[in-house]
Amino acid sequence: MSGGTPEGPGPDLGSGGEPAGAVEFHERQEAVGRDVRTEEMVFNMGPQHPATHGVLRVAVKTDGEYVRALQPHVGNIHRCAEKIGESVAFYQWIPYLDRMDYLAAMCNEHIGCMAIERLGGIEVPERAEYIRVIVAEIQRILSHLMAIGVYGLDLGAFTPFLHQFRERERGMDLLDHLSGGRLLYHYVRIGGVKRDFSQDWLDELEAFLSSVETRLPEYNTLLLHNRIFQARTFDVGIIDPAMAAAWGVTGPGLRAAGVDWDLRRDAPYSIYDRFDFEVPVGHSGIGGQVGDCFQRHWVRVREVEESLKIIRQALAQMPEGPVMGRVPKGFKPPAGEVYMRGENPRGELAVYMVSAGKSDKAWRARCRGPSFSNIACITEVAEGMLIADLVALIGSMDIVLGEVDR
Amino acid sequence: MAEPSDSPVAAAADPVTAKALEALQAALPDAVVDSVLTGQHPWIQVRAQDLRATCRLLRDDPALRYDCCHLISAVDFPAPTEGEPHIDVVYHLVSYVVRPEASYAKRAEKNDPFLAIKVSLPREKPEVPTVLDIWIGADWHERETWDLMGVRFTGRAELPRILLPEDWPGHPLRKDWEFPASYHGVPIIPPEGL
Repeated sequence: MSGGTPEGPGPDLGSGGEPAGAVEFHERQEAVGRDVRTEEMVFNMGPQHPATHGVLRVAVKTDGEYVRALQPHVGNIHRCAEKIGESVAFYQWIPYLDRMDYLAAMCNEHIGCMAIERLGGIEVPERAEYIRVIVAEIQRILSHLMAIGVYGLDLGAFTPFLHQFRERERGMDLLDHLSGGRLLYHYVRIGGVKRDFSQDWLDELEAFLSSVETRLPEYNTLLLHNRIFQARTFDVGIIDPAMAAAWGVTGPGLRAAGVDWDLRRDAPYSIYDRFDFEVPVGHSGIGGQVGDCFQRHWVRVREVEESLKIIRQALAQMPEGPVMGRVPKGFKPPAGEVYMRGENPRGELAVYMVSAGKSDKAWRARCRGPSFSNIACITEVAEGMLIADLVALIGSMDIVLGEVDR
Repeated sequence: MAEPSDSPVAAAADPVTAKALEALQAALPDAVVDSVLTGQHPWIQVRAQDLRATCRLLRDDPALRYDCCHLISAVDFPAPTEGEPHIDVVYHLVSYVVRPEASYAKRAEKNDPFLAIKVSLPREKPEVPTVLDIWIGADWHERETWDLMGVRFTGRAELPRILLPEDWPGHPLRKDWEFPASYHGVPIIPPEGL
């Protein structure tokens, strides 16, 4: 990245022979305003920039090192998911849901299948509900591990990224052994799940859970409690509750802003009302300010711990039984519509489906990707920021472009 | 679409949704065209010219405070079983603030559903006033609805496409949209079934 002024005299800061570092920050600002001719320039960050987490292009208007305005440009990997959704049978749309948020495929499948089941009034067996919650929470752990590790990478900390990928790799193997896919599973089906857990797999899961449990504090010493990391994220990119609600920021971004809201607890779907877990909410006691980049990171770390709790409770409560309910052949739901909201790792995924009746295809299949609304918010938050802080901000929003563009 | 029951307010599954309809009928008596408050997808249909007043009321009324426009969708009905061809624009509203005390603390009740506001537009000229100044987050949703369904949102400075290129022909989610033969000289072979 290069954003300096191409010409103009150098800043004359050291009046009186003092070194520039001794001058207070605001005085330097004044000196810049007085002596240096600044020039606004527009440059592109992305679409191939590693810090934009995918093919996101941000047109940034800068004044020196400061961001004056910015406009994200999305749509580079638009794959017509909604057009496909109304062109294929209901059950055929599930793999496309995987490919929206490819870091949270299990959660997407869960919400998508629940929307279709509500439309058609299909009952899901008890055991399948538990399996769905367990795999969705494993997915949340994996997604948050990715977010936490890559966020360190954005800010120049390479080590935690490699360590966290070790745990993530184990988790991906786990889901691979269950479903046959490492990243995109097509495991949750309309009416239940594809196959039951085996005893070997449950042992593997236990090993994974305990390794995350022991390693998470180690990762926190590398990142969360790291002075350099804190200096880069404290008080940067503050989103307040009203702003978050107006922009539609959900998930860790909303909770870090101080809004005590989690769909899994406050409007429970599936069987989330049977588990006892905490909802981490940003507050001033943990450092930084409520709603800044650090608090978003902290919320994700805490959510990993809570997901571990939920999985353990679900394993203890899980009944025996079938994992697939009765789904009629040539499933044709009656005319109607449904709006299914669910808490994904990145925020609230919502699926709005309209069925015209007498058809095995949806009349309209609409998806709200949480990243879509989360990333729109940076236009307001980033104004007046340093360019280096913009990287910290985009990283802390934890977006997946597959879901923004759908 | 289901028929509205005799007393939709009495039959509503959720008290806040019922309050929303009561407040709307009191403040804007002519605005509400139709409503269904029962079942899994409660909705209220208003006239397009009353949409902005409706949204302002839903956002600002202390008992309602729908502070987030969760999603804007459009549904195309080129040949409905009854009535003229139309496009429905659906606004799904949710609330993150605790009513009426306006705090963001943990709430007592364990249920807080959305509210769907519908606007029905003529298919030849689907135009609806923007709600961008009421919920800033509606910006990208409006752009996407214009991009994919061709609903024009009036009253905003510009309405660029968001997912497709600016010169893409037509609005692909319209039911009668046809694949172009080529785009910038590249032939397009429509996939089977589309």
